[in-house]
Amino acid sequence: MPSRDAALEIRTLAQDPVPIRARASGDWTFRGLKEHSDEFERDRAELHKRPADHVSWDLKDIGELDDVGAVWLVHAMRGAQRVEVSPGHREILNQVGQGLQVPKEHERFDPLAGVVRTGEAAAGAAEHLRDGIALFGQLTLDIAGMARRPREFPLREFSAGIFRSGVTALPVTMLVGFLVGIVLTYLSALQLKRYGADLLVINIVGVGVVRELGPMLASIISAGRSGSAITAQLGVMRVTEEVEALSVMGISVTSRLVLPRVLALAVALPLVSFCTDIAALAGAMLVSRFTLGISPGAFLQALPEAVEVVNFWIGIGKSVAFGFAVAFVACHYGLRVLPNTDSLAVGVTRSVVASITGVIILDAVFAILLRNVG
Amino acid sequence: MAIDTDKYVIEIEGLVNTVGAGVILHRDLNLQVRRDEVMSLVGGSGSGKTQLVRVILGLKRPKAGRVSVFGVSWEDPNAKKVRDARRRMGMLFQNGALYSALTVYDNIAFPLRERGGLEEEDIRAIVYTKLAQVELEPRHGKLLPANLSGGMVKRVSLARALALSPDLLILDEPTAGLDPDRSEGFVRLIKRLREDHRFAVVMVTHDLDTLFELTDRVAVLADQRIIACDTLNVVRAMDHKFVQNFFGGDRGRRALEHG
Repeated sequence: MPSRDAALEIRTLAQDPVPIRARASGDWTFRGLKEHSDEFERDRAELHKRPADHVSWDLKDIGELDDVGAVWLVHAMRGAQRVEVSPGHREILNQVGQGLQVPKEHERFDPLAGVVRTGEAAAGAAEHLRDGIALFGQLTLDIAGMARRPREFPLREFSAGIFRSGVTALPVTMLVGFLVGIVLTYLSALQLKRYGADLLVINIVGVGVVRELGPMLASIISAGRSGSAITAQLGVMRVTEEVEALSVMGISVTSRLVLPRVLALAVALPLVSFCTDIAALAGAMLVSRFTLGISPGAFLQALPEAVEVVNFWIGIGKSVAFGFAVAFVACHYGLRVLPNTDSLAVGVTRSVVASITGVIILDAVFAILLRNVG
Repeated sequence: MAIDTDKYVIEIEGLVNTVGAGVILHRDLNLQVRRDEVMSLVGGSGSGKTQLVRVILGLKRPKAGRVSVFGVSWEDPNAKKVRDARRRMGMLFQNGALYSALTVYDNIAFPLRERGGLEEEDIRAIVYTKLAQVELEPRHGKLLPANLSGGMVKRVSLARALALSPDLLILDEPTAGLDPDRSEGFVRLIKRLREDHRFAVVMVTHDLDTLFELTDRVAVLADQRIIACDTLNVVRAMDHKFVQNFFGGDRGRRALEHG
């Protein structure tokens, strides 16, 4: 297409009642204007100095006119006395002129805005809590229902969940466990050596790992891995209306989506934390051998005496609760995602933060409840 | 305005396109779209219309063949040339593809802001012009895409596609999901917009009314290639099973009587 540069020509006829004639020609498009924008800006400023009714415009020679060109011209021609223009271009100029006239909305200062926002936040939190309790109640009912009709149990989702959040999580959790075992033992050994209480390292690390660190490490890593995955998956299902499709088919969302994920993580997490325990103790054994000279044989022999078996069961029991909590929080946040991408991002972030916080709070509760045991 | 009709906006030569594990979708496909025409692309379900559009848009790299839009190949190493060519076309996706986190206003302003070189005040004027062009009101600008009806999503999406005053507009099923009234409105809208600014249109459609009203040439995609690309009357006279099914029968006759 042969494109002609936009051009603006201004003439002054001294005797005429409308003395200033502006004539535009060429292609008044974004690309055409870009080349000459400085020069045109000067011309426009010049024209605006004169009284507007002294200027007449001739736009008949304009080839192509797009919105950018039209906006420029409408600004420049404000109040002009006479405008000659082809009908098609007049239409564009009118449309853009109307676009320019849409009134701007100013945000008004509201002295009570802070109060309103606080109230809304409180109401939102209350609704959040209510939904959480409702989901928990529905889940409990569903579990009871499943117990009566075991054939309806979504076995495939359940086993897939165990594989995804359990088996595939092992490498990373075991590696982290092993390294934490090494660090913890090394630091304890340094202190204990000074008092000649070398063998106590087995008590400290043993109880610490089996009762606290194993379950905690496993559940925090699971919150990051499986929790975020669950929230993102349910969130996308919300965005694409798959959750609604399930409801319409008369399939319970909690029993089909929430139940298998929550139970899978509640089963998988104790197993993962058991493996984490083993990896951490292996790390401890390794460091004991080199810093304190305790042979692996002696370490293993002393371990059952140093760590009562009840500690192990407390750790496993806590893992069940943590797994349940992480998956439950993740499902809750996933189902609250609104159909837009921002809400999905916010939902996943909050879900991970909430489940890690939740796990730590639960752990504190368990520590208080079980302070006299083991 | 003088238009050089020898020039094509889209040129496709010897295109071979595969999907999945080497299933051939298009074989030796040729297609030219002129600067000043509305070209409709028709074909049965699964004939690869949308895939062809994706190749034209440069979203999919073909196995073989030459695709150029505004004389630029998407493989061109000159990034600026490719970007400039991209900005000369607008796309209306079948499902709108609006940015869900942005309001209607920001969706339309988005390409304008990305291109740069405009004051926010001018962008505002253009956004409201586009909204008015697709028969929406300024107050709709504040809505989020999730709160729009299907027809409104289409119109906002069209407004966004038109924001940069494209020389080529690609429409994927523009009237699908609109009621007949709105479909007609859409046809009128495209016609009027083309009076002001002569852009080329490539349109994938099943809607015969829209097709008869708007199209200059029809390209028929069947048997893995374009079997015909000509005016409606020539194409309709073709002795091909798909063409006869598509234009023949009650559906075609009804649309003809209307048109």
